[in-house]
Order: sequence, then structure tokens, then C-alpha cells
Amino acid sequence: MSSIFEYNGSALVAMVGKNCFAIASDRRLGVQLQTIATDFQRIFKIHHKLFIALSGLATDAQTLYQRLVFRHKLYQLREERDMKPETFASLVSALLYEKRFGPYFCQPVIAGLGDEDKPFICTMDAIGAKELAKDFVVAGTASESLYGACESMFKPDMEPEELFETISQALLASVDRDCLSGWGGHVYVVTPTEVKERILKGRMD
Amino acid sequence: MKLDTTGLESLPTLIAPQNDVVGDLSAAPSFDLPNSNDFDGFVKEAIQMVKPAKGTTTLAFIFKEGVMVAADSRASMGGYISSQSVKKIIEINPYMLGTMAGGAADCQFWHRNLGIKCRLHELANKRRISVTGASKLLANILYSYRGMGLSVGTMIAGWDETGPGLYYVDSEGGRLKGTRFSVGSGSPYAYGVLDNGYRYDLSVEEAAELARRAIYHATFRDGASGGVASVYYVGPNGWKKLSGDDVGELHYHYYPVTPSTVEQEMVEATGA
Amino acid sequence: MENNQRLKLKVYTSLSFPLSSLPRQTPISSPFSHFSPVQYKRVPLGFAKMASSVVDLPPKGGFSFDLCRRNEMLEKKGLKSPTFLKTGTTIVGLVFQDGVILGADTRATEGPIVADKNCEKIHYMAPNIYCCGAGTAADTEAVTDMVSSQLQLHRYHTGRESRVVTALTFLKKHLFNYQGHVSAALVLGGVDITGPHLHTIYPHGSTDTLPFATMGSGSLAAMSVFESKYKESLSRDEGIKIVVEAICAGIFNDLGSGSNVDVCVITKGHKEYLRNHLLPNPRTYVNPKGFTFPKKTEVLLTKITPLKEKVEVIEGDAMEE
Repeated sequence: MSSIFEYNGSALVAMVGKNCFAIASDRRLGVQLQTIATDFQRIFKIHHKLFIALSGLATDAQTLYQRLVFRHKLYQLREERDMKPETFASLVSALLYEKRFGPYFCQPVIAGLGDEDKPFICTMDAIGAKELAKDFVVAGTASESLYGACESMFKPDMEPEELFETISQALLASVDRDCLSGWGGHVYVVTPTEVKERILKGRMD
Repeated sequence: MKLDTTGLESLPTLIAPQNDVVGDLSAAPSFDLPNSNDFDGFVKEAIQMVKPAKGTTTLAFIFKEGVMVAADSRASMGGYISSQSVKKIIEINPYMLGTMAGGAADCQFWHRNLGIKCRLHELANKRRISVTGASKLLANILYSYRGMGLSVGTMIAGWDETGPGLYYVDSEGGRLKGTRFSVGSGSPYAYGVLDNGYRYDLSVEEAAELARRAIYHATFRDGASGGVASVYYVGPNGWKKLSGDDVGELHYHYYPVTPSTVEQEMVEATGA
Repeated sequence: MENNQRLKLKVYTSLSFPLSSLPRQTPISSPFSHFSPVQYKRVPLGFAKMASSVVDLPPKGGFSFDLCRRNEMLEKKGLKSPTFLKTGTTIVGLVFQDGVILGADTRATEGPIVADKNCEKIHYMAPNIYCCGAGTAADTEAVTDMVSSQLQLHRYHTGRESRVVTALTFLKKHLFNYQGHVSAALVLGGVDITGPHLHTIYPHGSTDTLPFATMGSGSLAAMSVFESKYKESLSRDEGIKIVVEAICAGIFNDLGSGSNVDVCVITKGHKEYLRNHLLPNPRTYVNPKGFTFPKKTEVLLTKITPLKEKVEVIEGDAMEE
């Protein structure tokens, strides 16, 4: 438990549905076993159809987020458009690999709607090795439990409501087996027409 | 979602007549010691290999009516929660309880061993052992194994001829008499609530609520504590389990939330 | 698996790019920097679009070492440094009568966890050159991407097809520069004007030129197949068959390799990327009924943000008023 990744604790998951995606995180910020806050934000909005969640060391997550927002704003100014998820993933990857020998202790999860509202999800390790997936991606201290939960619960082409139910149940089930994450959940379900943000009720231990 | 708490129910005390085995157990127990030149190093390594589950919150306090004992029920291995229904309050005999913190195996074994010794004492002396005596038996055993890797942090709580008794005993050989103890990784949080709400003249209900609240708050803040908050009361007629509440529900009992069925619609500022 | 990710600052500074290519310290503290307009410097080569301002310099290229000291401090305090995504891998390549065949499995691991069941390990270098990567995933990905863009630029410059040796030189130069800290073990294959070529490149920068080659944790299993079955001037189908067999040997006998077989056949003026050529490990535990939840998830708060259609100004100036 002395890994830097596990210092603050986190659980992240993103899933693809039919023309939509969902991205979810837990709400705990801890210092090892001590819970500091239960309303911590790990999912960040880049634009309406692009979200990034950052697991790992909280301080690095926030720094990285600020740098990403900055870079995205520069892009918007120059290009007069929002970034595509694929482009954004490459940006994150480049930013992380730049620090190959002194990395940010963050494992990002990126989810967005791309061209023609095609859902895109991906995760990376701390030095930016992209892992594109068609179904789901997970990260954080509860990632092992999440892999199991998602492998069994996920099915392709879910509608937004079913997707929400699946991702929420997978998240809550997994964090109940992890000391360092949990204390509620935070879920975004994004369709081409709306963004639905929900706060989940979970066990507070 | 509902926790399976059947493991936390107390079992009927089995008193089986067994003579040949008991004879051996009255002698001081002993382990085979490792045949190693570097004994300290060996032990240190061995402890690392079987690192005991540390995360726990247990507490006990003496008040007007007797002793209140409470504990959570989580067992963790590193960050992984291996069980949410561990029985951390061990029933030594109908008048005495022990709590479990540190190594699960060490606690369980030595409490069972203590139970045997207490029963033998009862048979030999025709009266129940005092809490003082029982805790000293345990402390002496633990002291004899001091530095060899046992990990026990326990409270012996009970009722004897002198009234309520409470002792803290640990594997470093310490034994403290007191009126208020909490042991485990969640103990700082539990102490906060306990010290704040404690009075000697609490009623049984008030004391039970205080104990429950202290455990709940500890499970909230401590990542390694959780599950079920069990509360036991030891009075003149022996111990009784008062409650076992899932802290997942307890939180929303203490801090009710009203799920907003009305969905708020946020107005978009700009299209871009 | 070799563990060469120990962070030691001393080593890195002495091994980095030439100093000029390192990002320079930004004069943020200068009292005038606040007033000076944001400057857009033209950045050479591939970064033309990502013009950097004075506030943010990174697009200069090269690694940034500014977190090294902090991370070293954290490590000294007893916090373990993280493990990265690795491709415990079987990658192979062989020369057949009209070209080169490359093969790879598709498993990516993170410690004992299979992080990706179907990743791509055969990287594009040039239209006539491909490269299989084993080792730390980010490194293989980055090094091949970097060299492939160098090759592209080189082609623009010369107007000729890239040669395999050029790719080889770029790769080994980079890897040697970093003394094995960029842990990429590669099998490079392609067909150029001088014929078919197959090379292996080790993380420290040494290279081999071979008629058949294997790399990664499953290299021994794969090599056993090559050693017993390889012969000169194999036909295309025979070649693919042996490559698939070698990869399967890795998939089934090496725990770090698994899932599917990717194959890439490169011949003179033609290439064929057979992604998931063979799927020997289909999922066996699909629940046809799916998963149903007895109780609905309890939601405390819901926020809905409707997304408007983006209004496009077709005529007139948007900046009017």
C-alpha cells in the first residue's frame, strides 16, 4: 500500500454504450487510510462531449488537469473548434511521455464523443501508453475489482439508462472491496443531446 | 448490497467433556522456535510475509451499569477488503468478552486459549475468574512471546465479583487497567467521539448509542474500518449483544439524505 | 522482467538530449513578462501547429526532468515508484522468398493484470517498413512514432522510399542515447530498394541482422518453432504458417503473451497488415441473458445539461455589434 499511486485512493471507469458513453469515479480523497474528503472531483470536463478522469496522486491529477485545460484553450483559440477525443488522447499521451523519467503519478481515463458522435474511450499508464478499448476502461486503486465487475456486467450497445445502471453497479460493487476508494460515486452519461451528471449514494465506510 | 451478518451471531457455548486434551493445555503453551542464527532477522522477515490485518476499530468503556464493548467488522489485506463480516468481539465466557485488533489468528488463538484457562480456573476454584486475573493470564502469555512477532491489541472486558472490569492488553506485554479504551487504526477517531460523549452515569441505551456512534465515525474516516458496528453490553448477568448495525445504513440514518427526484435542469450559457 | 525504472537523477541529466533540445526555463518571474504579449514562436518540424507561448514551453521536444527530484524524494520517503504498462510479449519476424513477415501477440500487461486483451504491437514505420515492439508500452509506442515521423520527413526531403537501414539507424541511435532506459526491444522488418531486411534491436541500442528473429518474454518458445521449421525461400503461405505457429507457441507457453495473432506481410511494393489474423482465444464465458440488477442504484443528485446544436454563422461577421 506504499505505492504513490495508492496514496490518495481512487476508482475510475468508463464504458461505451450505443451512441453514448458513461464515465464514473468514486468521491473519496484520502491520505492513505485517513479519509479527508468525500466530495472530491476526479472527472473533469474538457468540453461538453469530452471528459477526462485522473486517478492516482491527487496533486498531480489537478496539475495535469490545469495543463490540459490550458492546452485545450490554446487549441480552441487557434483552431476555433473543440478537440476531438482522439486528438486530446494524443495530447495527454505526449504530455505524460514528456515526463518519461519523472512521471506524473496519474493514470488518466478519457471518454468523449468524436466525429458523428461516435463514442471514444481510452486509458493510459503514467507515462502515456495509450490503451484504446471498445468496451470499457478502468483505473485507480479499485481497478482490479473493476476489471472483474466490468468483464461480467458489460454488454455492447446499451442505451443510456441501462449504461448508467451498469456502470454505477460496477463502480459501487468494486469500491466496496477497496479500502482506499468509495464514499459515494459520481457518474456522467453523455449522449449527443445531453449530459446527465449524477451523484450516487454509496456506503460511507 | 445487504451485508451477510450471520457470521457475527453468537454461537451457543459448547461445553464438551474432554479430559485428555485439557490436561495438556493447562501447561504453558510453547511454539517450536526457528532454527536460525539470526533469530531477530528471521522473525522480522516472517512477520513481513504474514503481515496481519491491521485495520480495525474496537472500543470498550466502563459506565454506571457495566461495560460497553463495540467493534467494526472489516478485515483488510493492504487496500483489499477481504471480509466485511468478521467477528471482532470474542466471547470468552458468559461474563467476559475480548476484542480483536492486530493479527486475526493471534487474537483468535490466544482468546480461545484464555477461555480454556478461565474455565479451568473456574473448575479448580469453584468460582469465576476475575477480569483482573484473566487479563493477567493473557498478558503473561503475550509477554513470554514478546518480540517474537505476535500482534495482538485487545481489551478484556467483563463482570466479576468486584463489578465491571476493563483491561487493555497488547503483544508488547503491556497491560493497563482503565475505564475507556479504543484499539486499532480507527481508534483516534473513536476516541474523539467517545471522550466527547462519555459520562459515568450514562444509561445502557445512551452508552450503546455512544459506542455505536464512535464506531460509525471511525468507520467513516478510517479506510480500514467498516462493515457492521456490533455493540455488546456486559452487566451483572453477563454479556448481551445489543445491536449489529450495517454502517452503510447507519450513515444515512445519522445523516438522512433526500434523493432529489426532481431533476434540475441547467441552462446552457453558450452554445460553444 | 527487467526493472530499470529506478529513478536516479544523476544518470538522466548526463544522458539526455543535447542541452539545446531540452526545454528551457521560462522567465515567468520577469516583471515584464506579464505585459509582453503572448508570443507565438514557430516551432520546427512536426510541431508547427502547436506553437508555444512564453508561458508554456514543452513543444520544444525532448524529455522533461522537472519532476525527477520530487519523485526521488518521494521514493526516499518509502513510497514505491509505479509500474508501467508492459508488453510481456511474443514478437517475431522472418524473411521469406519475396519479403518479410512480422508477427505479434496482442496482450498488454500491468504486473499480473492483463490490461489490454487486444492491443497492437506491430507499428507502422513507413509504407514499406513495419516494426514489432516489446518492453514498456509507452516506450515502444513513442520510439516508433518518433522514428516514423523522422522517416516521413526524410522521404519528403529525398523523395525516395525509406530504407530499412535508415529506420534501424534512427532507432538504435535513440535507444543508445538513453543507455537502455528507454526500454524498447524491437523487431524491425521491411522491403526496400536493396531487398528484404529483418533486424532486431535491443533496449541498449545493439542490433542484429537475421533471417528470422524473435523478441520478448515469449521469444524462446517462438524461437523453438523457427529453429525447427525455418528454411530458406519459404513461400508466403508457408511463412505465415510458421509465424502464426511461433506466435501461438508464445501465446500458449508464455504467461506474458496471449490473446490473438497479428501478422504483417511486406513484399516489394506491397504490404498486408493482417490484424487479428488468428483468434485462438475466444471468450468462453459470455452470459447470453446479460446482467440484471435486482435494485436500482440510488441517486442523490441529478443534473442534466442539454447540448444545443452548434450555431454556425454562414454569412455575416460573427464579431459584429
